[in-house]
Amino acid sequence: MASKVKMSSDLLQGVDRLKEEHIKVVKECQSQITHWTKLENDYESLQERLNTLPDKLSYDIMVPFGSLAFMPGKLVHTNELTVLLGDNWFTKCSAKQAQTLVEHRKKHVKNKLDDLRKVVKSFQDRAGFTEDLKKMANDGDFVDIREEGGKEEAVTRGKHRVAHKPYSKPKEPYMVQLEEEEEEVEDESVNGGNSKGVLTEEELWARLDELERLEEEQDERERMDSTDTNGEDTTSSSSEEEKEADAGVTIQVNGHDQNGDCAPASHTSQVNGIKAQLDEEEQEEAEEVGNGLPTIYFSHTVEPKKVRINTGKNTTLKFSERKEQKEQAKRKKKNGKCNGHAVHEHHKITTPADIYRVFVDVVNGEPVPRKSILKSRSRENSVCSDTSESSTADFEERRAFVNRTHSHDEATHSDTSDGITEEDSPTGISLYPNGRFEAFSGTVIEKDPLPSMIPHLTITPPALPTILERKQEEVGSEVSQEPPKRVSKFKAARLQQK
Amino acid sequence: MADAIQKKLQTELEKYQQIQKDVSKSMSARQKLEAQLTENNIVKEELDLLDSQNTVYKLIGPVLVKQDLDEAKATVGKRLEYINGEIKRYDTLLKEMERKTEQHREVLASLQQEFQRAQGLSVGKA
Repeated sequence: MASKVKMSSDLLQGVDRLKEEHIKVVKECQSQITHWTKLENDYESLQERLNTLPDKLSYDIMVPFGSLAFMPGKLVHTNELTVLLGDNWFTKCSAKQAQTLVEHRKKHVKNKLDDLRKVVKSFQDRAGFTEDLKKMANDGDFVDIREEGGKEEAVTRGKHRVAHKPYSKPKEPYMVQLEEEEEEVEDESVNGGNSKGVLTEEELWARLDELERLEEEQDERERMDSTDTNGEDTTSSSSEEEKEADAGVTIQVNGHDQNGDCAPASHTSQVNGIKAQLDEEEQEEAEEVGNGLPTIYFSHTVEPKKVRINTGKNTTLKFSERKEQKEQAKRKKKNGKCNGHAVHEHHKITTPADIYRVFVDVVNGEPVPRKSILKSRSRENSVCSDTSESSTADFEERRAFVNRTHSHDEATHSDTSDGITEEDSPTGISLYPNGRFEAFSGTVIEKDPLPSMIPHLTITPPALPTILERKQEEVGSEVSQEPPKRVSKFKAARLQQK
Repeated sequence: MADAIQKKLQTELEKYQQIQKDVSKSMSARQKLEAQLTENNIVKEELDLLDSQNTVYKLIGPVLVKQDLDEAKATVGKRLEYINGEIKRYDTLLKEMERKTEQHREVLASLQQEFQRAQGLSVGKA
């Protein structure tokens, strides 16, 4: 009630204001009208004068002399008038012409007056209407219909509908209710199609189950497909590289660059997940290799202990597996064809059980099936750093190069031989755990212009843009020959960089 | 926080007022032009009423300079054109300014709200 009173008072205020404004406009117009009517009158008298003026040749008149005095004078040339037309235009004309001009002006004035009168009328009407409005508001017979947007709305409805919980069967009474308010429950009717209630529900779930099954099957098939292609792939890594290039897939073979030698390859260099880097690398590599293949070269950490590399595989996830495989592909390439005696048993996957065969640990040269492919193996023999390499990077790769699976598979075959090669790699690298390199990955070490830079540690520029893998590799090779002490300096340099 | 907002509000308000001033200025200029337009229209019509024997003068400074009637008509026509052009220009200008004032008003409103909130917060803290 109070609010209503307030409302009406608001309304009254508004109406009053409106009326005031209207009245103001009307008053303005009225004053204008008086002005113009005065003008009209002036023109009327002027016209009269002009009518009679040329009647005589000359008039004896009192000429106003200043504002106070008059002096006697004579008006001659009674038919010769100079008229101000406006905008400083004058013209000399006869009284007759002047009359027409005056007529013309009177017309104009009349128009103006008409306009003003119209405006006045319209505003008076409006003022009258506001008066009416006020009256109506006062009477109370008429009420403004106002709706205030508030939170109350939710409370008004008697019972709230609760969404079905998944896997809960609708209760009987609830179903009945549903049937009753069918029209309201749109989504229900869309899904169920009708008010069959329980039956509908069951159907729905059945359908969902079916869909789920289908999805699973599809997944399985896909997996099978990919593995199959892997199995067929027996080409040497180099040719494979080319093949990949031909296929237009961006290639990330973890091989060495062609001119690199074995020793430098064995130190850690990180697979950087960062795409930009990869791209840059790609370019670089493409230029340097000269055959125009967009090839990217990576080199990887060698475990300080001569642990089997394929331990890395144990990191369960497909990503890491793939990565491992890639690395192995690279190693195979590095080792040359002498490693041709790759183990081929693992790669035919026809049943789910076969998957386990892929995830084997090689113990003493013999594959030992893993108990679980999902758990990562205990750390003891997986000192191997490759595995722990950034999974993010791996993931990135995986996303970018999903089509590339076949290369990985091939890589698996060379596992054993890889293990051997690792053995003769320099040990200095152990000082670079992968985590570090990851952190380090934001920098580029320019190899060429200042080859001595790393050993002396003085120059590491503060903001080096990106790592080019190969360069780092080379640098790394230098470093790897350094004694560990130097390495710590290197670390210091890195710190300095920050 | 409240102080910064207040400062911002102040500058924004000044800008807004400036624009308002501009608007009113161009408004009055436009009105003047309108008056000139009607005046010149009348002149043109009245010139049409005259015939060739009438001499036409233009008041330039303190002197009346004699002008040819046709010339005078042409001049007035030119003047009308010019005035019309000016009016159009002012129209677009006004529209633009209208838009700007609208923007400024919105900014001001939001700033004011912010300011009030900040003030409330500071008061609440205190």
